[in-house]
Amino acid sequence: MLKINNLKAGIEDNQILKGINLEIKAGEVHAIMGPNGSGKSTLASVIAGKEEYEVEGGEIDFEGTDLLDLTPEERAHKGVFLSFQYPVEIPGISVSNFIKTSINERRKATGLDPMPAKELLKKLREKMELLSIDKGYLSRNMNEGFSGGEKKRNEIFQMAMLDPKLSILDETDSGLDIDALRIVANGVNKLRREDNATIVITHYQRLLDYIIPDFVHVLYKGRIVKSGGKELALELEEKGYDWITKEADKKWA
Amino acid sequence: MGLINNIKSYSETLNLSAEKKGLFNSFLENGFPTIKDEDWKYTSLKRIITEDFSVEEKGNNIDKTDIDKYSLSFKNQIIFVDGKLITSPQIEGISISDYSDFESRNNDAIMNLNASLCSNGFSITVDKNTVVEQAIEILFFTTTENNFSQYRNLIIVGDNSEVKFVERIQNLNGTPSFVNYFTRINCGKNTNVEFNKIQNNTSNSILIDNVDVYQENDSTCDINTLIFGGSFTRNNLNFEQNGTNCESNMNGVSVLDNNQFADNHTFVDHKSAHCRSNEMYKGVYLGSSKGVFNGKIMVRPDAQKIDAFQSNNNLLLSEDSTIDSKPQLEIYADDVKCSHGCTIGQLDDEALFYMRSRGIGVEEAKAVLTYAFASEAIDKITVSEVRLVAQELLAKKLNVDLDFSL
Repeated sequence: MLKINNLKAGIEDNQILKGINLEIKAGEVHAIMGPNGSGKSTLASVIAGKEEYEVEGGEIDFEGTDLLDLTPEERAHKGVFLSFQYPVEIPGISVSNFIKTSINERRKATGLDPMPAKELLKKLREKMELLSIDKGYLSRNMNEGFSGGEKKRNEIFQMAMLDPKLSILDETDSGLDIDALRIVANGVNKLRREDNATIVITHYQRLLDYIIPDFVHVLYKGRIVKSGGKELALELEEKGYDWITKEADKKWA
Repeated sequence: MGLINNIKSYSETLNLSAEKKGLFNSFLENGFPTIKDEDWKYTSLKRIITEDFSVEEKGNNIDKTDIDKYSLSFKNQIIFVDGKLITSPQIEGISISDYSDFESRNNDAIMNLNASLCSNGFSITVDKNTVVEQAIEILFFTTTENNFSQYRNLIIVGDNSEVKFVERIQNLNGTPSFVNYFTRINCGKNTNVEFNKIQNNTSNSILIDNVDVYQENDSTCDINTLIFGGSFTRNNLNFEQNGTNCESNMNGVSVLDNNQFADNHTFVDHKSAHCRSNEMYKGVYLGSSKGVFNGKIMVRPDAQKIDAFQSNNNLLLSEDSTIDSKPQLEIYADDVKCSHGCTIGQLDDEALFYMRSRGIGVEEAKAVLTYAFASEAIDKITVSEVRLVAQELLAKKLNVDLDFSL
């Protein structure tokens, strides 16, 4: 589904990603871990198309198209979804109105008519139940005055409504208490299918107790320096990052 | 030639009273304000008054289709064509008639001109204890070419009454028009008045819009101003609070592009204690448009326990757009709460990316964010038809096809 080849990107003169290679197949969950400042969020932003990052080389092949040729909205229309680490507050637009606009803009791009109101309402209800969200929430302004946990839950709610092929969860666990974490993880797990894939970006092992990855990658100084199965996350939890980063520093010195 | 000469010739056709002659001479002495006047520092009439406008020309009858095109189809309509009142509704508890003389505070040349020569407009008296459920729609049409016209209106709202208005001034020909407008609103005790101005005239229309509101005890008055059209708009909105527990609310949304110019001048005179004023003006500037905001709040010595709030927020969406914003607070009482804030900015890139990453196209995302920016002021309007018009005009102006309501 996704094949990243030798991706190099940075901001202004500062190169952050120094040659990322990553392949993700449909049905898989990949976790990307790593110490602070290793480039995890940059990778997520570059996949989603954030313009302030300059891509210096490489490609991001998504089902036969290089995402780097597309605008952020076109990537979303193709089925890429980024759950933000810091979701943005948009006063004046209700959650329901925002979601309706996103869904219909995507439908418009793929030649479909707007989703009938009845179908939309049914879907909203279904996904709200999945994420234990109560009704009053729909009429609140987008993320305005939301707690950290509410913002993250709102991200996963949008993900559920948009039904993407590739979801990137950027530090979705930060700001969540254990109950909220369980609800969000349960939501993500229920949305897993054979035809979609998930990248979970996290600093801690905690989330991976709930969302079990097929692969774990360690990102350090802009490179994936180690990959393994789910047991790698446990090993990191136990031993920290030092043993990997020291080795990597030696190799790339 | 030029406008002043045409006005002078027109004045000679009128049989003016000594008092009006005095006012007119005072206008002639001072002429139109120039940028040397502090209140017109950023707003030049120079180019406008050299144009050869004819004065108060009477035109032809109007087609019903034209009315329908600009009307919001309220049941109660007051319609003027070239200064002539052609439609006025029958509403219980309200008397509506053609112009009759009334006093005004004539504190500048523009007002002197209006007070001396104008005899077109409406007089509305709302009886005591009258609640008018549906908004009254007021339409002023100009059908003649290159016309300068004036309106002078009076609204008297009796104690314990409630009334709402929606107003539009519309030029029906392709040539420029210039309107010098004035409305005086007297809000009796415990009244609730809302006046909505949809300023969406043709792109070559000029408007100077003056409103003076006088409030008595326990009255609330909202003036909402939506500027989308016109080439030049100057709004002078003045509130005078003459009783305790008054509330004056001003909400404004300007969305301008090309070479449009709009200036909102507001003045709240807090003369009595225990009163409030809330002012929220939002400006969105595209192309080479230019905006001015000048909000003055005066708190007189005995007006204690005043709560006055003013904000002017602006979005500059192009390189060439400008805004001059000036808050002015003059406070002579010591137990008051007055705050003001002014912001000038661009759309938030982070928010834009957030929306685009959810599949919302860049133009639509800009429109939604711009709408979100303006909505805080639009949402204060209680007449839903006006809110809808504001949303539609905004979407049209930003060239997107978006349905904002769910």
